[in-house]
Amino acid sequence: MPARRLKKSALAPWAFLALPLAMYVVWVIVPIFESFAFAFTKRDSIIYGPVFHGLANFRRLAGDGQFWLAIKNNLLWLVFFVGIPVPLGLLVAMLFNGGRPGSRLYKTLFYLPMTLSFTIIGTIWMWIYNPDFGALNTFLRSIGLDALAVQWLGDKRYMTGALIAVGVWRQVPYVMILYLAGLQGVPTELVEASLIDGASWWQRFRKVILPLLLPATIVAVTISVIDSLRSFDIVYVMTNTKARAAEVLASYMYSSAFQYADFGYGSAIAVIQFLITLVFILVYVGDVLKKESER
Amino acid sequence: MKRVIAIACAVLAATTLFVACGKKGSNELVIQSYMSDEAPKQAFQALVDDFMKKNPGIKVTVNTTAHEQYKTQLMNYLTAKEAPDVLTWFAGFRMQQYAAKGLLEPIDAVWKDADFPAAFKTASSYNGKVYFMPQSWYWWAVYYNKDVFAKLNLKTPNTWDEFLAVCAALKNAGIEPIAIGAKDTWTAGGWFDYMNVAVNGGAFHQDVTAGKVAYTDPRIVKTFDYIADLAKKGYIMKNAASYSWQEAATLMFDGKAGMYLMGQFIKDVAPADKKDSIDWFKFPIVEGNAAYGVDTPFDGYLVPAKAKNKENALKFMAYLGTKEAQELFCKPLGRLAANQNVPVPNADAQRGLDMMKGAATAMQFYDRDAPEEMAAKGMNAIVEIMGAPDKAAEILAALDKERERIYAELK
Repeated sequence: MPARRLKKSALAPWAFLALPLAMYVVWVIVPIFESFAFAFTKRDSIIYGPVFHGLANFRRLAGDGQFWLAIKNNLLWLVFFVGIPVPLGLLVAMLFNGGRPGSRLYKTLFYLPMTLSFTIIGTIWMWIYNPDFGALNTFLRSIGLDALAVQWLGDKRYMTGALIAVGVWRQVPYVMILYLAGLQGVPTELVEASLIDGASWWQRFRKVILPLLLPATIVAVTISVIDSLRSFDIVYVMTNTKARAAEVLASYMYSSAFQYADFGYGSAIAVIQFLITLVFILVYVGDVLKKESER
Repeated sequence: MKRVIAIACAVLAATTLFVACGKKGSNELVIQSYMSDEAPKQAFQALVDDFMKKNPGIKVTVNTTAHEQYKTQLMNYLTAKEAPDVLTWFAGFRMQQYAAKGLLEPIDAVWKDADFPAAFKTASSYNGKVYFMPQSWYWWAVYYNKDVFAKLNLKTPNTWDEFLAVCAALKNAGIEPIAIGAKDTWTAGGWFDYMNVAVNGGAFHQDVTAGKVAYTDPRIVKTFDYIADLAKKGYIMKNAASYSWQEAATLMFDGKAGMYLMGQFIKDVAPADKKDSIDWFKFPIVEGNAAYGVDTPFDGYLVPAKAKNKENALKFMAYLGTKEAQELFCKPLGRLAANQNVPVPNADAQRGLDMMKGAATAMQFYDRDAPEEMAAKGMNAIVEIMGAPDKAAEILAALDKERERIYAELK
């Protein structure tokens, strides 16, 4: 009976998906709606039961300097996270693509930071940034730039910059991998054709390769945007969450909820962060879906 | 497929059964501890071993979490359905706020009035019931490196002017006058407590931690003027915000810094060969105001209302209050026991006790006397002012906005 077989095979994927979907609903979807609900309640609601607080948490956000500082810092993260790793990752990928001697070794070396967790990266860089005996300041002093040997993680003027630099350092190899994969999809015939037609290196890159890398670029940019918006690990590890000058939305959410035990306010921050991120995610998912349907 | 489901069901049933069995046995006692530094951790383990020897039927599990993480986890411990049975914690406001919410189990059954000073009972109680078993207490004072002072021929200062002169002499000798590991912002809380009491007196300081005084009040501004003055003169170690409290202590142990306003537990982290080079003096007198205050926080234990093995928990609480148990813990650490029948462990502790007895005001500590959000933001502000003394007015104005909101929300 073909009809019944069809039904069975249509059900099979759902049987396999049931468990992960259930977990996803319980641990991701439901909490998202819960934090939306908590955002409208008083500080202790998560513990003693919800007390409706109206828009008070959001009104407080509007007048909270620390919140706007977090937004500003998140914007800085965003700008530098897209502005530096994407072109740099592309450059590195172009350099090491193809069979140049040693390129495999270099690719591996570049990729190594990706394999470390943010906690480890943060701890290593904390030592590098140590104002008195860290590698960075020791180097700066050794070449006579004593004036530049500042307190990277203790001075509010440099803190966010120092943290972003670490994030960028880790993001470049990620983008590199995305582009290396993208370069696999560039047909060699087209490149060879442009060679025969006498295109210069730059023309070849600009007119042939780059347009073909557009899908990889879209992925690299959206992922970098999303990563920059959820930056938390580095800030948390490297500033002990106390250095409030480097505040980003995620760290402010964490300290509001868990350090100051104001879960209503923390949830309100989470909601704002969710909405901002959602915009970029929708763009990304929309693009993926479009490609899927084109196939 | 059916077989898979059958197996899954069997596994599920078995685990449920297993978990259920684990629950039933009341021979367990789970303790959640913040004593993560080596010395207190060992002292506490000695206590637990002794308790198990005396109560062979009870199996004790100690889970240790680093201090700062512990503070952020406490709400989870208190409200979890499977709450730990005994928690390490602080007396005073930080405990009472949870008692008020019904999260704590009263321990009157095992409390003995004869063992503890009345002030300890007050700080351990809420609404006429005792919720907290005090164990040990310590004092805060200005710790200094004796070798450095001897080399430079410096005497320990009694007044603020003498203190400034010592700072100047240390700075001239290329030694950081005041060590502070401001990456752990609580290190700045001690400065606020001592400076504010020295300038404005204890009663005023209590009003401040109770939220009754604006941080823009001229009297508080004056307190911060003193702190800002130290920063402007370069007496506070450079790069303070990049150092944890232990890292800054190492500078003093090594003679690279002279003085450190710290709790007695600084001795816990001093290397064995440096312990004797470290001594302390009472915070200097400001403007002839001889009535002084001291930070004498006391630490102890509480039982969550949702504790699983309450019977065992109370047994352990009773044990913790005894003279023997308190001596076992305090002696190796050189700390003072809450139980007044325990002899003072050494001459140093006797000095600490005398200082406390002579004080007009005893405080728990800024982050224990004030609500945690207020204290956290207050300590951030102090650290900021140490780093940017010119911006004090602006920083205090922002802090006061927070004070208004935080105390309004508490009501």
